[in-house]
Amino acid sequence: MKTSVCFAWAASLLFAAAVLAQSDKGTITGSVKDPIGGAMAGVAVTATNVSTGAVIRATTSAQGVYSIADVLAGNYDIAAARPGVAAFSMKNVAVAAGKATRFDIELKEGTQLSSLGEDSLSVAEDQRRHHPPSGPTPHTDDGHPDFTGLWWSPRVIDPGKPQFLPAAAEVSRKRIEDNRKDSPQAHCLPSALTRIGPIYEIIQSKLFLGLVSDDDSPGFRQFFIDGRSHPKDPDPQWYGHSIGHWEGDTLVVDRVNFDERVWLDQDAHPHSDKLHVVERWHRPDLGHLESEVTVEDPGILAKPYTIKRVSDLAVGEELREFVCAEDNLDVEHLVGK
Amino acid sequence: MNKTKRTGSFLATVAVSLALMATPLAAHHSFTAEYDASKLVTMKGTVIRLDWANPHARIYMSVTDEHGATANWAFEMGSPNVLARHGWNRNSLKPGDVITVTGYLAKDGSNMANARAVTMADGTKAFAGSSSPDAPQ
Repeated sequence: MKTSVCFAWAASLLFAAAVLAQSDKGTITGSVKDPIGGAMAGVAVTATNVSTGAVIRATTSAQGVYSIADVLAGNYDIAAARPGVAAFSMKNVAVAAGKATRFDIELKEGTQLSSLGEDSLSVAEDQRRHHPPSGPTPHTDDGHPDFTGLWWSPRVIDPGKPQFLPAAAEVSRKRIEDNRKDSPQAHCLPSALTRIGPIYEIIQSKLFLGLVSDDDSPGFRQFFIDGRSHPKDPDPQWYGHSIGHWEGDTLVVDRVNFDERVWLDQDAHPHSDKLHVVERWHRPDLGHLESEVTVEDPGILAKPYTIKRVSDLAVGEELREFVCAEDNLDVEHLVGK
Repeated sequence: MNKTKRTGSFLATVAVSLALMATPLAAHHSFTAEYDASKLVTMKGTVIRLDWANPHARIYMSVTDEHGATANWAFEMGSPNVLARHGWNRNSLKPGDVITVTGYLAKDGSNMANARAVTMADGTKAFAGSSSPDAPQ
């Protein structure tokens, strides 16, 4: 593999040098390697001209080599990104006229677990399995949009701009500093309440919607749509209590009454007993499911914020059970700061 | 059928930077709580068994070091759910298979690591055929 990578890079360099002779433009070329030294194919590499702001893009080949040709001489900010590893950036890389500048990139591990099956290649493979079909939004017999189906975990389109109060920000900082070792999810308890796992299924009836996740514990939520109200003096629940009503073709879900132990988000923020979440679910077509999640909690936030995200229909996939406690050997090995 | 009002879709804005706005990974626990990203190791050994269980499948392997001492090691992978999507199953490794695993050592000094990459007995890398972004679909 090393030989082929070197050959591919050398060939591109020689070609670039021949083309660039007597030119006022240059080429940026190099390799991208994963955190354990393997060639990374399919990585998006961008070069942004510091002076003009012009952005030029390339993608690494099967051998992990990229080449950005015909770039004006000058300084460039180089960036590379691939889900599953930390984003890379380097500022002010000088590109000379008439030359090929070699710039190799070694990506680093991200903060998430990168074991086989959860590494960058696996994430990319999951993304390649997204083939949302086109077609109109399906409807139920009573005329409402039908959200029933298996869905990929949503992509975040807009994370919103949460402004956490200092005390909440400090809790998050300490939990992250402590390696999130006390995360409920690590103990086979429900994950952060704004998170949905890799694949989830929605089953819709006239009375309720059920949401089942393939990596959470216990991994199911109910949204009651039969007109009931939130219960008076209810027991707190990890996923909260959810009631929904239709506003046109959007299902508006009101979610309250959360167990104090559940984490708000993947940044390990807490919540207070004032937490109120409003979710707006909308299926614009056959292959997509949008959700806007508005988080209100004056106990931790300066003001509400809204996350916008969209899921692709997971055609051909299957929801498998996830019994987290069957072999959770990690707990005794989790180490804090 | 009820009259339904079509609300605005933000799907049209989705096309931007999909790769950069991808879904967070399915981490059951924080990597940094259990493994040391500065201690990358590669070990060749003999498979004792593959535990196909949640929340993580594990390879148990017998490894002989350069001094001839043999020890048992556990290598953590993703959940069976994610591994199955990439073609693995409970029989993907069999006792006696000689494999090579690269991963990060456990912080607490246990004979544990995560399995960042696995090279099978026949020299092929696990998932290499299916998970390369350039592989045929």
